[in-house]
Amino acid sequence: MSNGNGKTGKQIEQAGPTCRRKKVSGGDEFAQAIAKIAVAQVCESKGFQGFQQSALETMSDVTARYIMSIGKSANSYANLAGRAECNIFDVIQGLEDMGYAQGFTGASDIDHWLEDSGVVREISQFVNEVEPVMFAHPIPPFPVVKERVLPPSFLQKGEEPPDDHIPAWLPAFPDPETFSQSATVNGRGTEPHATKVENDNSNGDRPLLNSQQQIVSSMFGNTAMNDPAVPKANTVAAESNPFLAAPLKFEDKEVASIAPPAKFFNNTVASDIPILENFVENEPISVLETFAPAIEAIKSTCSDSREDQTKFPVKEKPTVRFKVGTKNKFLARSIGLIPQNEEHNKTLPWFAMEDEKDDRKRRAEKILRESLENPDQLVQL
Amino acid sequence: MNQNQQPQQTSSSEGRSSADDDSALSDFLSSLTDYTPTIPDELVQHYLAKSGFQCPDVRLTRLVAVATQKFVAEVAGDALQHCKARQASIPKDKRDRQQKDRRLVLTMEDLSKALREYGVNLRHQEYFADNPSTGMDPTTRDE
Repeated sequence: MSNGNGKTGKQIEQAGPTCRRKKVSGGDEFAQAIAKIAVAQVCESKGFQGFQQSALETMSDVTARYIMSIGKSANSYANLAGRAECNIFDVIQGLEDMGYAQGFTGASDIDHWLEDSGVVREISQFVNEVEPVMFAHPIPPFPVVKERVLPPSFLQKGEEPPDDHIPAWLPAFPDPETFSQSATVNGRGTEPHATKVENDNSNGDRPLLNSQQQIVSSMFGNTAMNDPAVPKANTVAAESNPFLAAPLKFEDKEVASIAPPAKFFNNTVASDIPILENFVENEPISVLETFAPAIEAIKSTCSDSREDQTKFPVKEKPTVRFKVGTKNKFLARSIGLIPQNEEHNKTLPWFAMEDEKDDRKRRAEKILRESLENPDQLVQL
Repeated sequence: MNQNQQPQQTSSSEGRSSADDDSALSDFLSSLTDYTPTIPDELVQHYLAKSGFQCPDVRLTRLVAVATQKFVAEVAGDALQHCKARQASIPKDKRDRQQKDRRLVLTMEDLSKALREYGVNLRHQEYFADNPSTGMDPTTRDE
């Protein structure tokens, strides 16, 4: 069915099949897909050259329901006769029930032989007339049921149950390593369990995450997912799904420090900005030279600690006279109580956003040093 | 008891015996084994098992598969009739019809008409007003 053109259409199409799979079918997608292929082949043999997607899905759904209703009525007839297994007469009676809507010859006859039923005749007619069309693909027997590996008992493990009230034939407790590490990651014990399962890959251990996934998978009626499969599936899930992985600590991942934008390496750009011209007038130093130590520092190390940034040599920066504030204000600023935005209002525009904080810290350090060296030269607001 | 005797009398009067009917059935089942239904056995077994049907005999599964195939073929045939009837009734140029619309496409419209006679009531959206091809002939639309 057409969902609309353009980007939204594509997004809907991508989201649609996955949503449908998760919510509606619940583990029967394989059978539905095969039914679609079979129905398409039958319709093609009748003369159709194309199918609407929705029509094909509807027809395959109706076919599946037809089979199920035959099975249900045949089973009911068998149960009525006091049997658990169905035989051909049950099936023929089931087919007759299905055929009452459309009608078949001899439907209204009471007490007719089932072998002589109109349905049987019609089917044998169909078999004689129509050429068989093979199904397009080879199919494995499904659904696949995996062998259940039970968790080992105390006896099998050779362990002694910790207390007298626990008999030895019960399954053993999981290893303490799987649940001992807790409250380190956001107070939730699930991530360490997932990582531990990745490391251990042991048989009987079932962390919390496992049981949640078990519930979810059992809801979907997935017969292929069983106990040994679930921890493996979880490891796969934990490895593939970044949201289930343990959160990174601060030093785990190397984050490259931010390089200043290329425009500061270029003197020609500096002339465009009027404020920068004023800055340049004070001292005949090019912007490149000013930032040369910073650039070298960035190139040499990739550490993102704050101290390195503030350690950029400040001496080579030209002394710019600007109003800093009262003594008290300055002290407060040096301690870090008052945000140092005001003094950078004029100079901020020519720095990119990434450089703002570096510059601020550099200036703070510089001011602090200057004040310490020359306490009498403090400028008042 | 009378009711039991009557069918036996009618069967004897018609010259049939139960033995013949049994052989007819076994002949019928053996003819089934020659025929490979398009609907695969695994699929039929899956859905039969889902509904509680239990039988180790493969021939019964084949019987259900053949019956289902017959049902699908009948529905498809009816839908094809509707499709052809619709194409014949559209007042269009002969040129256009021969080029494009000869393509027989199974549409929801035809399918719902065909299934209605089998007791399956299908309702579908007439159109979605979300793209420029709304309201066009469904066979020419990209679906």
